[in-house]
Amino acid sequence: MRAALIVIILIVLGGAGAAGLLVIYNLPLNMGDTSPVQPIHFSHQIHAGENGIHCLYCHSYAEVSRSAGVPDVETCRNCHIIIGRDKPEVKKLMNYWKEKETIPWVKVHDLPDHVYFPHKMHVRAGVECTNCHGDVASMDRIKRVSSLKMGWCMSCHKEKAASIDCWTCHI
Amino acid sequence: MGLKRREFLQWTGMAAAGSMLSACGKGTEKLIPFLIPPEDGAIPGDANYFASTCRQCPAGCGILVRIAEGRAKKIEGNPLHPINRGRLCARGQAALQDLYHPDRIRQPMKRTGEKGSGAWTPITWDEGIELFLGQLNALKEQGKADRLLMMTPRLQGTHSELVRTFMSAYGSRHLLSYEMVNTECYEQANRTLFGRGDLPDYDLENTQYLLSFGADFLETYLSPVRYGNAFGKMRQARQTIRGAFTYAGGRMSMTAASADRWLPVKTGEEGTLALGMARRILEKGLYDRKAVQEMKGNPEEWLKKLSGYELNRVAEKTGLRAEEIASTAHDFATTQPSLALAGDTVAFQSNGKDAVQAVQFLNLLVGNMGKTGGILFPSGPSVQEGATGYADLQSAMDGMEKETFQLGLVYRTNPVHGLPSATRFREAFQKIPYVISFSSIMDDTAAYADLILPDHTDLESWGDVIPWAGVRSPVRGLLQPVVRPVFDTRSFPDVILAAAKGLGGEVGKALPYKSYLHMLKESVQKSLNESSDAAFKKSWVEVLQRGGLYDKEKAASVVAPAQGFSPVSVKEPRFQGNEEEYPFHLVLFASPVLNDGRNAHLPWLQELADPMTTAVWGTWMEMNPVTAKSLGIQQGDLVLVESTQGSVRVPVVIFPAIRPDLVAIPMGQGHLGMGRYAENVGVNPLDLLAGVLDEENQLPAWGATRVRVKRISDKGDLVVMGHPEGSYRGELLEI
Repeated sequence: MRAALIVIILIVLGGAGAAGLLVIYNLPLNMGDTSPVQPIHFSHQIHAGENGIHCLYCHSYAEVSRSAGVPDVETCRNCHIIIGRDKPEVKKLMNYWKEKETIPWVKVHDLPDHVYFPHKMHVRAGVECTNCHGDVASMDRIKRVSSLKMGWCMSCHKEKAASIDCWTCHI
Repeated sequence: MGLKRREFLQWTGMAAAGSMLSACGKGTEKLIPFLIPPEDGAIPGDANYFASTCRQCPAGCGILVRIAEGRAKKIEGNPLHPINRGRLCARGQAALQDLYHPDRIRQPMKRTGEKGSGAWTPITWDEGIELFLGQLNALKEQGKADRLLMMTPRLQGTHSELVRTFMSAYGSRHLLSYEMVNTECYEQANRTLFGRGDLPDYDLENTQYLLSFGADFLETYLSPVRYGNAFGKMRQARQTIRGAFTYAGGRMSMTAASADRWLPVKTGEEGTLALGMARRILEKGLYDRKAVQEMKGNPEEWLKKLSGYELNRVAEKTGLRAEEIASTAHDFATTQPSLALAGDTVAFQSNGKDAVQAVQFLNLLVGNMGKTGGILFPSGPSVQEGATGYADLQSAMDGMEKETFQLGLVYRTNPVHGLPSATRFREAFQKIPYVISFSSIMDDTAAYADLILPDHTDLESWGDVIPWAGVRSPVRGLLQPVVRPVFDTRSFPDVILAAAKGLGGEVGKALPYKSYLHMLKESVQKSLNESSDAAFKKSWVEVLQRGGLYDKEKAASVVAPAQGFSPVSVKEPRFQGNEEEYPFHLVLFASPVLNDGRNAHLPWLQELADPMTTAVWGTWMEMNPVTAKSLGIQQGDLVLVESTQGSVRVPVVIFPAIRPDLVAIPMGQGHLGMGRYAENVGVNPLDLLAGVLDEENQLPAWGATRVRVKRISDKGDLVVMGHPEGSYRGELLEI
């Protein structure tokens, strides 16, 4: 009787463990918030949507570097010294400038260190920004829409006949 | 209820799974933009490489620094630089941590408490320069300009020119550039033998038989990256020849461990060994007749002079077997080209200069001078600029003790840690009423200063570096700032120029430069022989891109021994402490990792295991297993090491490759300051050294100290990476 109880408990524990592992395996690698709160409530909807500012105006390194780049505080200030000065979020921005501090934006799209992802290759190959980043122009707060898992990368690479050699990304 | 094995395994399994789960959650990464984009158009994510020069040791290797987002990320060797040809040692790579050290001095500081109490008040640069000028003006007005003392390491190029001009225009003769590990003995020996006091280049790469007398050229000797690279080529770059290598010295260093044959010669008898070999070569007629004729030598007369160096007697004195000495002498003379080197354990003995000359005599005898695979002196005149020697240190010490000096300036040197306590430096130094340090970190000497005007680190500075050895034609590496200064520091040359400007008069006239960069450019323009400014603008950029001025290799200078040259006898070595009371010789060696201690503040290097013992983060003492057994000492035991001068407590590493009558301690630790990674780590073995002096040549014999060893406990706190039995197996050595 006692032995049977132990066996049952073991089976239940084992099952739970296996189920747990299965869940972990199927969850996206990045379990972080897909739309974290940012230090300044910056709206892509206003900038890219309503005002139609091109992505590369602010993310100016996407064509020439592996990182797309975040605009420096000076670039933000250049417009906001005139536009929307009385808005509370713009005041926050100007305060950063006054204190000569940069804005600690929270990363939304983050890849593991063992992946080499160059923006410039993708932009030059004609991949639209929205392909990976979604319809940013309609997002008030930026949100990650892609899983950024390897299978997701691979499906696109296969579809576009881009290299799927291991060393292409894992160098 | 006790825990059963099965249950235990279950619980540990669950705990492990739990810890893995928590590891899956990621900390939020931040995306930090520039405040203002850099003016030079740097692209984030893209790296730029800038050429500069390493100043971690005087070898002067060329480096390439990888810069991304305006920060220095990695240092590698510069392939164009003739010293290191793209290679770089660990010490050079660790220079990054010099730049980003958390305990760097971030702005000028003024002492507020007692001397050495560590109470400082930050001040502005204007205040700092004003204080500096106030001191200089006060001395000058009292007509006591000669009471200014400046301490630097051995400087060359424009740095040397700057401090020399400044000191002489100000009116002080007291420019002291003495550090414990130096080349004074070799230079004296070369001056006596060849009439030129510079260091030749040893052509390891092309030699066929290398004989090193205590020269650890793979670790710290002269130019380790250059000679390490050349040694690799000597062994493996030729199709049919693998150069042979014999090492003579009582302790097996990493260099000795790379040799084919190890001759564990008695301390202080290396010169005797060299002359014993010379006699054997003469006896057997194996010398190079042509070379001996050219230097007007008389072999018969030499043989007569060397009558005291008969093989069996030499074998007895050196503690080696006669056949071994004879066969090494035979191989050295018959395998041409060959090369003999003398290193620090030979030079820092009471008979050091004789011994170094004896080794050079071996080279002369078999015709190694001026030929491929031998000794090559640089073309043209001597490139070395006069450094001060031990005699100058002693006279400066006298001055300090008699309170002659009113103002002391300390730049890039740390004598409170780096000079043996036998020199009484620390006490005498405190008698200087006002000391200004230019250190970028609060090192042992800066702690006793009154004012600190922190210098940039090397990666933030302009400058030029002339390698102190290993060159055959002029090489001048350039330093350029590869990042913006991290803190509110100023480069030492610019502070001196500002002081010169503030002083005006003679000094201002002697140093009329707008900034140090102007001075450097002017000097480079002069060496390029470029008269037009427009053309120089272009060539300056090219020179910076290459990392310096490297002249094409020219034919070596023909160097003949001085007239009336003959082999001198090697004096009997003298030691401090009698044999009964102090049974062991003490070898202090420059750590292959921390050098003489100048790199101890860099945690990458503290963590880097010593290549022979795998010890990290501390000081240890190497001791032969036979000796250890007789004293009841085991691996890791704490012992008290005593000399007539002082004592230290260190853990023991049982090290089979050392003579039983020898113990060895690495230099470099035991700092009183120098940041959180160096402070109070290990001990400073320089406290043990007795002040034996070679009076005739005014050279210190730091290797002439005898010690005794007493076991204290088994709590030595030794950190080694391997099992003590891992590096050797006692039963194979029958101990």
